[in-house]
Order: sequence, then structure tokens, then C-alpha cells
Amino acid sequence: MNSLRLASVVSLLGPFLALAIVAGGFAVADQMQERGGGFTSAYNVRQIAASTTVVAIAGLGMTVIILAGGIDLSAGTGLALASVVLASLLEHKWPLALALAAAIGAGGLCGFANGLIIAKGRIVPFIVTLGTMMVWLGIAKKIADNKTIHVNREYVPDWLQNLLSASESRAILGLPMGAWVAVAMSAVLAFVLTKTVFGRHVTAVGSNEAAARLSGLPVDRIKIAVYVLGGIFFGAAGLCLFSQLSIGDPTQGTGKELDVIAAVIIGGGSLAGGRASVAGTLAGAATMAVIRSGCTQLGLDNPIQDIALGLIIVVAVAVDQWRQRRAV
Amino acid sequence: MQRRVFLTLVLPAVFFVAGCNRSTSTSSSNPTGGDKIKHRIAVIPKGTTHEFWKSVHAGAVNAAMEFGDTEILWKGPLREDETTGQIQVVQDFIAQRADGICLAPLDSQALIRPVTEAIESDIPVVIFDSALGDESQIVSYVATDNFKGGRLAAQSLADAMGGEGDVILLRYKVGSESTEQREEGFLTELKENHPNVNVLVSNEYAGTTPDMALSKARQLLQKHRNEVDGIFAVCEPNADGTLGALRQTDLAGKVKFIAFDPSPTLIKGLKEGTVHGIVLQDPVTMGYEAVKAMHAQLSGGKVEKRVQTGEHVATAENMDTPEIQKLLNPQRFEE
Repeated sequence: MNSLRLASVVSLLGPFLALAIVAGGFAVADQMQERGGGFTSAYNVRQIAASTTVVAIAGLGMTVIILAGGIDLSAGTGLALASVVLASLLEHKWPLALALAAAIGAGGLCGFANGLIIAKGRIVPFIVTLGTMMVWLGIAKKIADNKTIHVNREYVPDWLQNLLSASESRAILGLPMGAWVAVAMSAVLAFVLTKTVFGRHVTAVGSNEAAARLSGLPVDRIKIAVYVLGGIFFGAAGLCLFSQLSIGDPTQGTGKELDVIAAVIIGGGSLAGGRASVAGTLAGAATMAVIRSGCTQLGLDNPIQDIALGLIIVVAVAVDQWRQRRAV
Repeated sequence: MQRRVFLTLVLPAVFFVAGCNRSTSTSSSNPTGGDKIKHRIAVIPKGTTHEFWKSVHAGAVNAAMEFGDTEILWKGPLREDETTGQIQVVQDFIAQRADGICLAPLDSQALIRPVTEAIESDIPVVIFDSALGDESQIVSYVATDNFKGGRLAAQSLADAMGGEGDVILLRYKVGSESTEQREEGFLTELKENHPNVNVLVSNEYAGTTPDMALSKARQLLQKHRNEVDGIFAVCEPNADGTLGALRQTDLAGKVKFIAFDPSPTLIKGLKEGTVHGIVLQDPVTMGYEAVKAMHAQLSGGKVEKRVQTGEHVATAENMDTPEIQKLLNPQRFEE
């Protein structure tokens, strides 16, 4: 019993330990080089937080989906679609609140479509979302008339333009406002997943779908709800993407789904379902941003950076396997 | 068991630290050794795998070699053509306190905020290749004069046709600033200086791939095959497709054809007489001038607000001269 509790503490702390070690390693290496110290500067901390936010918020949605035993490859193009919807509506001078709601709603709608096809059509989520990934890209291009939407900056309120600004003057308690939004959303989601009936149902479906079905859970409805919830987070991430870019570019989400999935996996999520943690995902997203920033600070070129990012994912999965084997 | 978990966490960190010290030199070029380096200039292209950027890189390193006290920190976005990635690279260099940043913005609007952040941190910024929407704070803008490039294309086409005939302008895509400048330059030059050249079609867009350009050009050439004497394609994918269309419609060599930016196919066409001119940019000079402008800014010298890096036309006659060969096969940076 005692060792079991220790194991669960390690599994919770693991991703943070990895983040601390990676960040510590870079900080030391950066201090050692000539004119070092940029990595640990306050500006760099804000910058890393800002560049983590899009992946972190989308990662929250992916955490729910992976916890339920699913996967969503359309997350990247879905969040780009949401950002294009927002850009397009702002350009057409819609009221801000409506445009924001429509963007997040677009994400939810994408999730609803995915969930419906997956649950009712009994098709594996990998294939369904592989398809819808291209569909969302196509719809986003259609909305943007196959180009980039450059919204007149006068139509974009100041706070939205600077949600992810790394400027000191925009920071609240040392971090960009958007990073705090992500933290708040994480707290709410962690509560929902661990303290509510819905959260336990999601874990049950992810752990053993057949057993969940046999015990009378409305598995299809839970699955659809999971993808809608995930989609809402992708929509919110799309809003952050728009804030970061100040343009609506349909292609800017392509490939982001892999960063998002990697964040969940590095954070201790299992692609087999039944296990994924909100805090772990935040640590996972931050780890990738730290590696990216650290490599630039040390003057490592892009190929090395690609290899480093890839290796950490493999290591994270290997650790996960050891943990599982021990649990048996 | 605990120890193994711990090891797997430590190993990557060890790998990074070990990797760092070894490969620092691969992305930075420090030709004269560490002691004399006064200026570390970050140069950020739109991507890193395309030949064009390797030539820009070569030019930037040439400048650093010449000054002797300058180190080039070359880094593009991790994913080719990813605007968010490029924003991060700019911010990484701000955190690193580079002395200056030379940037080829992937988007004229999206890069304004990171550039403002750099300037707030007292890091000067030179923009090259493509314009930034807000030029009020930058040191200099170093790029090809695309309008003039368009004019050169019009002159060459008119010369090739003997000063009269009917031409087609095949545009690239809506919203691309550099190619729109070429298109306007082309039409302006014809209107002002070549009254006997008549523009048959100027409202068609070829699209972004050679494939799309081929089918669009083929339709236009079929439709106007009895009238058309000349055609201008405003960029490389566009021109590759157009050359294919000329061949398929059996008009190659008969219709005079001017391209913009070289490719192996187009250079071969120039030799064979199916391409009558290629307008050339000078990426090596672009990289050189961008670093030179930044160096002047950092060492208190005089800086031009706008530097034009030159436009040239390669024809069958001049293509073997050393000057044009240098542009058809420009120097490329090699590790």
C-alpha cells in the first residue's frame, strides 16, 4: 500500500521532475557559455509561457479525449479554423463577444461532428479525425477565401492583441495574461475530471469501454460529450492563436496536433486510455517550449532541436511503459 | 526500480548538455575566433531548406567575414513557413540579447508585435526580402525592387517580340505583396514605353503550384493561340507550369516567354530557346546588405533606410557571362 502511494506520487511528479531537469540543464549550460544568462531572464520566462499557451490549452482538450481512450488528429486544423472564424467575423465588424463565442462554438461544433461519427458510426477515432483534419483545413481555407485574413487592427481590442504579449508592461504577476487564463482553465478541468460523476465516467470509458457499457453507462453520449468538450478547448486555443498572430491563416494549425498529443504523452497520458492528467499536460507542453527555447539560446540548430524533441517523447513513453509493468 | 526511472529522466538532460557544447558552431558562423566578436547579429529567414535562403545565408556570412568582428546567428522557424515558429525565433533572440536582428517576415502583419518587442528591448531590426506592415521603427528594408523587376520583364518581352504584339500576364495569387509589385511594374512599363504591345489577359491567377499554373496557362494559351505573341509568368512555380503548358500546346519557342526567378528547368529552356528571359534576384547580395546595414547601425555608421539589392535579366546571349552565371547558380552556404 505504501509503495503504491509512492508510485502514484512519482507518476504525478514525474513530468514536473523531467521539466525541472530539462530546464535546469539548459540554465546551467546557458550560464556556462559566453554572454549567457538569456535563458533564465524574466523576458524568456514570459516568452516561454506565451509560446506554450496555445499548445497547453489545446492539450487540455486532448487530455479529456485521451483519458476517454480517444484521439483527435483534427485538433490542429480545428484550432486554426476557429482562429479564421474569429478573424473573419472581426473583419466583418461583428460584436466582439459574438465573434469570440462563434469561434469557440466552431471548435465545439467540430468536436460534435467528430464525436457523432466516432460514437454512432463505430469508426476508430484515428481514421475519423484523420479525415476531418483535412475537412477543417478545407473549410478554413474556404472561409478565408484561400488566403490569409489580415484584420484591421482597429477592430481588435487591445487586450486580445496582447493576450500573449511577452512585454513586461503587459505581464500580470510575471506572466502574460493568456498563461493565467490557461492556468484557470486547467484548474476547472482538473476539478471536473477528478471530482464529478462525468469525470469518473470519462475515465471508466477510457479504461474499459466494454465494462463501462455493460455497467449501463451511456457510452455513446459520454464520447460525444468528450469530443465536444475537447473541441471547445481547441476553439479557445484558436482564439489564443489569433491573438498571437493577429491574422487568420488557415494553414497555421497544420502539425500543431502532434505538439498537442506529445504534450499529453510527455505529461504521463496513456494512448491506451484511462490515464491522462491535466497538470501533467501543462508540464508536457512547457517541457517542449523549454527545449525549443533552450536550443536557440545555446545556438543549437534546427535538426538537433528536432531530434531532442523527438527523443523526449520516446523517453516519456518508455517511462510510462515501465510504470505500467510495475503496476501489474 | 526508482533508480531506473530516475536515470531515464536524467539521461535526456545529460544528452542536451553534452550536445550543446559540441555543436554550437553549426548554426553560428564565427570566422575569426571568439575574442574579437563585438556584434552578434541574428539572421532569421522564412525557412531553412530552400536554396534561396542558403544563398542569403552565404551572403550574410560573407559580410561577417569581411567585418571580422561580427558573428551570424542563423535560425529559421522549426517548421518551414510556420509564422508562430518564426515569432518564437524572434523572441528567443530577444531573450538571448542578440545585438541586432535581421528578419525576413513570413507575414507582414503577424511579425509587427515581436519586432516591436525587440525594439522595446533596444535590439535594432533590419527587415529583408519581404516588407513589414509597420516600417516606422526599423533600421532598414533590404530587398529586391519587385516593381522594377516587373518593368525589366516587360522590356525584355517587348524586345523579344520586336516591340509589338499581344501578351498575356499570368498573375500569382491575391495578397502576395512581392508578386503584385512585379505585375504592376510589368503593366506600367508596357503602358508607358511600349504602346504597340497590347495586353490580352491580365486578370488571371495561376495559383501557387506548378501544377495549377500549368492547367491555367494551358487554358489561356488554347483560347488565345491565334493571337498571343508573348507571356510573362511572375514567379518560379508559375513559370515552371507555364513552360509545361507552352510545350503541351506546341507553342514553346513560338510564343516569347519571360520568367521570374530561375529553376533548372527554366535555365535549360533558356539554352534551348523556349524561354527568352529570366528576371533574376540576388539573394547573396540581400544577405550581405542586410548584415551590412545592421553592422553600420551597431557601429554608429550611416544606414540607408531602403536598400535595393538589384534585378537582372538572363537571356540566351548573356547567360554564360560570369555576372549572370553567378546569379543563375548563386553561392550557397555550406556547413
